[in-house]
Formats: sequence, structure tokens, C-alpha cells
Amino acid sequence: MRALVQLTIANIKSFLRDRAALFWTVAFPLVFILLFGSIFSGGDDPPRLYGWVDHDRSPQSAQLRSAFDATANVDLADASEPDALEQMRKGDLRAVIVVPSGYGAAIDSLAGAPGEPTTVVVYSDPTQASVTADTMQVVTAVLDGVSLALSGRGPAVVPEPRAIQTQDLGFVSYIVPSILGMALMQLGVFSAIPLVADREKLILKRLSATPLRRWQLVGSNVIMRLLIAIVQTVVIVGVGAFAFGVQIAGNLVLVGALVVLGSLAFIALGYVIASFAKTEDAANGMTSVVQFPLMFLSGTFFPIEAMPDFLRSIALLLPLTYLSDGLRQTMVGGAAFMPLWLCFAVLAGFLVICFAISARFFRWQ
Amino acid sequence: MTANSATDPVIVVRDLRKTYGQTRAVDGVGFEVRAGEIFGLLGPNGAGKTTTVEILEGLRKPDSGEVRVLGIDVARHPDALKERIGVALQTAALYPKLTVVEVLDLFRSFYPRSRSSAELIDLLELGEKRSTQTKALSGGQRQRLAVALALVNDPEVIFLDEPTTGLDPAARRSLWAIVESLRSRGRTILLTTHYMEEAEVLCDRLAIMDHGRILEAGTVHDLVSRRFKERSVRFEAIDGLDDSRLAAFPGVSSIKHEDGEAILYTRDVPATIGALLAASDGLGVEARNLAVRAPTLEDVFLDLTGRALRD
Repeated sequence: MRALVQLTIANIKSFLRDRAALFWTVAFPLVFILLFGSIFSGGDDPPRLYGWVDHDRSPQSAQLRSAFDATANVDLADASEPDALEQMRKGDLRAVIVVPSGYGAAIDSLAGAPGEPTTVVVYSDPTQASVTADTMQVVTAVLDGVSLALSGRGPAVVPEPRAIQTQDLGFVSYIVPSILGMALMQLGVFSAIPLVADREKLILKRLSATPLRRWQLVGSNVIMRLLIAIVQTVVIVGVGAFAFGVQIAGNLVLVGALVVLGSLAFIALGYVIASFAKTEDAANGMTSVVQFPLMFLSGTFFPIEAMPDFLRSIALLLPLTYLSDGLRQTMVGGAAFMPLWLCFAVLAGFLVICFAISARFFRWQ
Repeated sequence: MTANSATDPVIVVRDLRKTYGQTRAVDGVGFEVRAGEIFGLLGPNGAGKTTTVEILEGLRKPDSGEVRVLGIDVARHPDALKERIGVALQTAALYPKLTVVEVLDLFRSFYPRSRSSAELIDLLELGEKRSTQTKALSGGQRQRLAVALALVNDPEVIFLDEPTTGLDPAARRSLWAIVESLRSRGRTILLTTHYMEEAEVLCDRLAIMDHGRILEAGTVHDLVSRRFKERSVRFEAIDGLDDSRLAAFPGVSSIKHEDGEAILYTRDVPATIGALLAASDGLGVEARNLAVRAPTLEDVFLDLTGRALRD
């Protein structure tokens, strides 16, 4: 146990003192997020197109409609509630405002005597935090105007927010889990390089002349990489949330399980590379050969649906496709390209296969 | 059966064999090392010394033969052995980005009992470098750290594979002093070397190895006196003095040539030199770089293998 802890600490120290490793695992993914984030969350002011569903059809609801219409940059699209929500899921609407039946009557009674405020339902997507915040700001301003005109004594109409998952993630929401998947992949695949270097420098041989067991050696490597994976996850999600307002709306246990399973699967792939690379240079070359197709063909930067057929069939063979898809589903409520169970199953299967290959072919000297 | 009384040898090797493809790296090697002695395997690169030592350390499996270290059958129970031996590999293998004290502390964590890092740093004179990353160490410092790592568990048997290769003479001598201090603490040491001088200075007994075989074994004195009663007279070979004329000089028993030098082994040095000077005078030339030497391991090796042992 003491040996395992000390070896893990030694690995972490070596890692932190290796600038190239730090760059690839921390700086490189951050550069992508900052780059895409600032390009695609750009500060232009796109039109606010809201769905308008009027169940009341009273003069008061018509008045409310014209109050929204009068607001700058707001456009309303009339629709039935199911149609409006469907359009919003597809990403055609930013939000849907629903005036419940009885709205007009409630306003009339509040005009006579103040009482409990009535509500207007507002559907928005909480994973698109900045859009949601903007919507609520607009709606609240309009409703406050109505309240003020009525009595001037406290709110008469308040929004009742409801969450809805939209299919069309903002690109930043798409890219953050994708970059996390990419970073975990690189962390795992790059484990091959120090491993081969240690073998080439005969460090592994020297260690096998001590009572240290091989499971302790492998265990300390895996523990170190998992700790780094956690740091990467926190940093990437943190930057996504604080700099670009990407909210984690999913199940944290599932996200954690995917991060761990994905890291293990790609660490195992690193061991496979280390099983066949004889020198550190060869390991460098092989990790590049492995990581670039994974990076570009697994839906990291653009959705797999948008790929031509032959690239899509390649993407289906790449394990990172399943990790990134799973992360998008669990982190930001992204549309499922694969069922989540399949993402877990493919990663687990990949882990088992890589483990078996490296157990068979890995050489310590 | 790991207990061994004081009289039992600490290392027993019998008919050890290891083949790589077509190469017989170790071809029937056998020797014994007693408690508290420094035993050397002397031979050129590729003689099979490292393969032999790595089998003894439990790092390689022999094809056949018996190896017992501290009474432990190494092929069957390598893990039982590893707590009790210390190993310095031929190429010092260290974590490049860890400091001297960090590497020592790391290796100490592998053993149930260990000497303190401070003590080892003192012993190997690494005090100034304790907080230096190992990639910045000089060759001598690296080797000293490798020896320090071999001592962390205060082992009963220490294997040093070419401990001074690539070191300058001063660094080499300082490492010799450390190895001798280990013997005075009662440790048993097996070292390999291709330096004659190192074998002569350090080893209580040694075995000369070439092409995977042990050619001869014993103390330096045994090896030399068993083979040579003579001393050698050397000089730059002279045209016109061929072996038949040299052999006729008084006292000369045998003749060898090495790197343009003629070597006459003789029982009567003054008579041989007198005859040589008279003969060269007669040819009108000078016998250059004339030297007289008592035979050394070098001569033994030359005699055994027909070639000189060089770096």
C-alpha cells in the first residue's frame, strides 16, 4: 500500500514536471474551448423568436401579446401548444410563452382587489443558460409592466418557468462535453509514452528487481491518470460554465461513471500502444496515428449526423464517438445519437479487449 | 530452505545455460560465491556477464541450470529473493524528473525495512545533489545513486553490473572505495567488469568469462601465478627480429604479439634484455618503448583468449 501511494506520488510529480504532458492534457483542450466558445457564443443580438400559445383568447391576453410585440427584438410565432413545443425542441424557437385560460378573468379580478398573482407559463431550456436568462429577463420586464399598469401594488402577473430539453444545443454546449471526451482520450492514449520511456530507460526492469508487484505499478499509473481525469473534468466543465454559461443539467453520477469508464478504456488503449511501440519515438508516432482520427472522426467538432455516410460508418467504429455522445447526453441533455446503455457497453467492451491485448503482448523489458 | 550457515556459499551457480536465437549467451556457467567476499565476472562486452547476473537477480529465466542465492532457488521463487538483494543495473535506470532524495524515498517504500535516505546520501556522497533532478546528474553521480538504490534495503547480497563503466578515473576510484566499505560491513558482492584494474583492486576472487563460458576462476594471484612463472619484456616489434630469433634469446619461454608490440615471457629478464639490445644494435635500430612487467590479469586474459581486453 505504501509502495502504491509513493509510486503514485512519484508519477504525479513526474507528470507535473513534464511540460509537454501538461500542455496536451490541460492547456490543449482549454484552448479549444476558449477558441470555439468565443467564436460561437459571440455577442451579436439574434432575434428573440418566441412561440405564442393563447388558451385564453381574451382582450387581456391580446393586450399582453401586443406588450411583447412592442418589445425590441422580440418576435412572436402563434401556434398550438404541442406545435410550439415541437418547434422549440427542434431549435426553431428560443422559448414558448403560454397564456393559460382564465388569464383575462384573473386580471379583471386583480384590477378590483389585489390578491395572489396569476401566472404565465414560460418554457425554456435550462442547459442553455444564457438564452434562458435572457428570455426570463424579457418576460419579467413585460409582465412587470402589466402589473404596474393594473395596480402599482405588487406583482399581478408572474412567469412560471418550465424546463424543456431542446435538441439543438448551442454550439458551446455541444463542444464542452466533446472536448472533455477528447481530453480524456488523449490522457489515456498518452499514457503509452512515459510507459515506453520508462521501459526504454530500463526503469521498469530496475523496478522488477525490487519486491514491487506489477499490479502496484499498473495501479499507480491508473490512479494517477484517473486523478488527472477528474482535474480535467472540473477545469473543462468549470470553464464551460463560468466563461460560456454551459450548465450541467444531467445526472452527475452518470457523468462521473462515464468519465471513469472512458478514462480506463483509453488508458488501456495506451497500454496496447505501449505493447507494440519499442521506443519512445515510436510511441509518440503511434499515439499521433491513433489520436488524430479519434479526435476528428468521433463527432468532437461537428455532429456525426452531419457527416457523409462513409465517415459516419467509421465514426461508429471509434470508441470516442460513444464516450462523447454519452457525455453530451448526460452533461447537457444533448440528443442521443446512441442509446446511453450502448455508450457504456461499447466503452466497457473496448476496455476489456484492450486489457486482454496488453496483458498478452506487453513486455516489461 | 532459505537458511544458510556461515560456511555455505551465498551464491551457487551450476551449469547455467541461456540461448537467444542462435546465440548461446550463457553456455554452461558454474561458480560459487562465499559470504563476505567480492566476486568478479571479468570479460569483454558480450561475454555473457550481464545475462548471468540478471538470471541471478531473478530478472531473466535460464533455459537450464541451477541458481541458488541465499539458499533460494531463484528460478522458482524470484519474489522471495528480491527483498534480500540489492541491484545496480549496467545502465543506471532512474526517474529523470525526480530528485535524488525523491528516488531514494520511492525505492525505500518498496521494502518492509530500509535505511534512511539521509544515511545513504551521506554514504554515497550525494549531499550536494540531494534536491537535483536525476537527469541533471553527472555520470559518476548517477552511478553512485544507482549504488545507493541498491543499498536501500540493506541487502545481504549486492549485484553491481559494470558499476564504473564510462566514469573518469577519479569517479572510478571513489566508487571502488565505497564498494570496499561494503565488504568491510560483511556484505557479499558480485560485480561484473571489463576493467582489469578494477578486478585486480576489488575482487577477492574472480572468474574470467568469454563467449558465455567461464575460462578460469580463482584469486588474482592464483590466476596469474598458475599460468606465468615469467615476467614479460615488451617493445615495439622490430623488422628483422622474427619469432624464431626472439625464441632463441636466453630465458624466453614464449612470445606474443599485441598492437605492434612483441611480448617475450622470460625467466631471466637481464639475459633476455641483453640479448635483445645486442640484436637490435646489430640491425642498427633501437628497441623502442622497452618495458618489463610482472604478468597481470591482462596477460592471463591474452593467454586464455588470444586477444587483449580493451574498453
